[in-house]
Amino acid sequence: MSKLKMNGVSKAYGATLALRRGDLEIAAGEVHVLMGSNGSGKSTLCKIIAGSVRPDGGEILIDGRTATITGPQSARAQGIGIFYQELSLAGHRSVEENICLAMLPVRAGMFIDRAALKARAARYIDLFAGVSGDGFAAETLVGNLRADQRQLVEIMKALASEAPILIFDEPTSALDRAQVDRFFDILRGLKSDGRGIIFISHRMDEITAIGDRVTIIRDGETIKTLNLNETDPGAVIRLMVGGAGDMPASRSSAPAVASFSTGAAMTVDKLSGAGFRNVSFEVAKGEILGLGGLHGQGQSAVLRAIFGAGAITSGGIRIGGDHFDAKSPRDAIRRGCAYVSGDRGRDGVIAGRPIIENVTPIHYLRDRLMIAHPSSLREKAMPALAAMHTKFASLLHPINSLSGGNQQKVIIARWLIDRPDVLLLDDPTKGIDLSAKADLFALIRQLAADGLGILLYSSEDAELLGNANRILVFNGGSVTRELIGEDRTRYNLYQAAYEAA
Amino acid sequence: MNVAISFLKKPLVIALLLIVALLYLGESLSPGFASADQILRLLIVASLLGIVAAGQNVVILGGREGIDLSVGGVVSLSAIIAGNVMNGADGGILPAILACLAAGAFFGLLNGLGVTLLRIPPLVMTLGMLGVLQGLLVVIRNGIPSGRAAPGLSAFVTQPLVLGIPGIIWLWIAIGLFMAFMLNRTVFGHRIYAIGSNEHAAYMAGVPVRRMRIGLFMISGMFAAIAGLCLLGYSGSSFANVGEQYMLSSIIAVVFGGTSLAGGKGGYTGTMAGALLLVILQGILTTVNIDESGRQMVFGATLLLLMLFYGRGRAMRA
Repeated sequence: MSKLKMNGVSKAYGATLALRRGDLEIAAGEVHVLMGSNGSGKSTLCKIIAGSVRPDGGEILIDGRTATITGPQSARAQGIGIFYQELSLAGHRSVEENICLAMLPVRAGMFIDRAALKARAARYIDLFAGVSGDGFAAETLVGNLRADQRQLVEIMKALASEAPILIFDEPTSALDRAQVDRFFDILRGLKSDGRGIIFISHRMDEITAIGDRVTIIRDGETIKTLNLNETDPGAVIRLMVGGAGDMPASRSSAPAVASFSTGAAMTVDKLSGAGFRNVSFEVAKGEILGLGGLHGQGQSAVLRAIFGAGAITSGGIRIGGDHFDAKSPRDAIRRGCAYVSGDRGRDGVIAGRPIIENVTPIHYLRDRLMIAHPSSLREKAMPALAAMHTKFASLLHPINSLSGGNQQKVIIARWLIDRPDVLLLDDPTKGIDLSAKADLFALIRQLAADGLGILLYSSEDAELLGNANRILVFNGGSVTRELIGEDRTRYNLYQAAYEAA
Repeated sequence: MNVAISFLKKPLVIALLLIVALLYLGESLSPGFASADQILRLLIVASLLGIVAAGQNVVILGGREGIDLSVGGVVSLSAIIAGNVMNGADGGILPAILACLAAGAFFGLLNGLGVTLLRIPPLVMTLGMLGVLQGLLVVIRNGIPSGRAAPGLSAFVTQPLVLGIPGIIWLWIAIGLFMAFMLNRTVFGHRIYAIGSNEHAAYMAGVPVRRMRIGLFMISGMFAAIAGLCLLGYSGSSFANVGEQYMLSSIIAVVFGGTSLAGGKGGYTGTMAGALLLVILQGILTTVNIDESGRQMVFGATLLLLMLFYGRGRAMRA
């Protein structure tokens, strides 16, 4: 009998369908793998099961009975435990307290039973004895632990729920080999207890090592469930990619500039820092170099570090022929580097201020202005905004009065008054509408044709395949593959992204 | 109609209407309250507050919980420094101005360094600085005489200069024009708003956030120092903690004028109206024989009431 069954579960956020149709069946004693690309609906599916997202339609059966999950509490009560990808730990509490946080043992109705808490936590801490690393103890504050140790605590916390159905959403991303092996031993033990386990990972080798069955999600729909021992990684990736995955990037998306005889715009040599290591590449003047791979594999970290907003521990950068080591964004901007973030609310928009003041800050810096003369600034800002086809009524209206796409256009327009030599794009189209995306890429190709060197990271593969001359695939913080020419296919991109790091 | 309503909802318009209403109330409570002479005297007192509030204004506009609680201490210290440097001689006015500005800039610099480099919250940093300044005042007052204002300075503050209006009111008007120009027409002003409304975005757009913030505290210290000097001219000689009242009232004036305590929103014109309003309110309270402690309670309650009306919003965000 199935532990958990979902029939036609769906969820929409406004006009966006996050999950079109989710059908899933978890048998007792199996590790069931969910696979799908960024934004395909895996996390939404898990959150629905865990009760943190309420589905719009469909039914959920637990042990064959229809279940209504009203919230995280209710999910826990019905036997569902979850490991959250964004860890949910209390940094100022000890390891043992965190492990027992969901169900603190209580004495006399109000006092925490320390001895019982210690004993219960010790059971789960001992499971990882020998691999949990230096400085890991029951009394250590979680805030003092390394990233991999915190991830272990989150795993212990999920295990401590002793739930019959366990969900692990990317539990191994920070763990080392020995820790993963131990974790898999524990999972095998749980399997033999008859628990149902949902497992999400982006490492193909882990999936084949631990998984029994795999369900593939694409564009918000569960496509197919396969037995892992009857299939091979290539077939799984082909299902994730869908129909035309083997076709090379289409002819209409030919590079903006066919050949670059003009030399390198930027050279990056063996660059290492927080979140990435040993990254080397060269982007020519007029080239759009794509950074691909799964989300959070170091692409943003590299771009931010080049721009002076992240730490670099070793390696070198050159722009043109000059050594480039920006200590701050201010420094980077002065030396001809530009950066557009997809998180415009945090990194871009100066909320509540007029559009004009959101276009001019880079111009102020590059031209060392002291006085902001309205009419001359207007002359500079209008062509920049027009180049992006920005729609606005008045330069003096607050930027918040614009749609998300138009806000992002304003943010990009600020780099067009004084042209940079290198443009770093960090998932620039996140959350903007299709026509704004089209305007943006038309402009990016134009800028490349004008001789800028452009680095483009995008979480949407179609944007990379359609615009980049070359694509560097990131995996675990380093470049694992370079796709050139006919090799730029969805299939190759996925395969490189899901390879073991 | 809608235009009229939105016009009436502007904090500046509300403040101006309240000013007229309070003057009328004062006149009806005590005839002569709104006489030309009396209004001139209120304007002189308002100028002193308004100058302190100019510095408070830029610190608050700069955001990140920016506030300067040490202004009162700087005002007192500056009055003492000025009194001792000039000691009743007109020739000492220029050295006194320079000494006061240097002291104000110095303590502003310390505030700014504490907030940016040591990452001490402005509330705690400037409150601590206020404590240091108060202690310093006690030490100084036990060591040296407090000094007297030069006749030229007293005349500047209390006697008509041009068009029958005292110099300090002209100075306040000049500061008002300077602030309006700085906030609206200079890169520095635009950057104040930028760091106040989204510090991280400003940083990513090349704004030197730390240096800016240090500069804002220095400006605040210098404005407080100028006010301290003028206050000496107003009272003739300095006495202990003359500046004490300016901490709370400068904040109220800024908030009254529509500047958000969360930063990034507001301006100095409203603050000027706020300062005037507060001084008139103080005058009325004095007229009806409410003593200093009662006035302080009314001021505190006013600030809380103001927060209720339009200070909250963004300040409450997590």
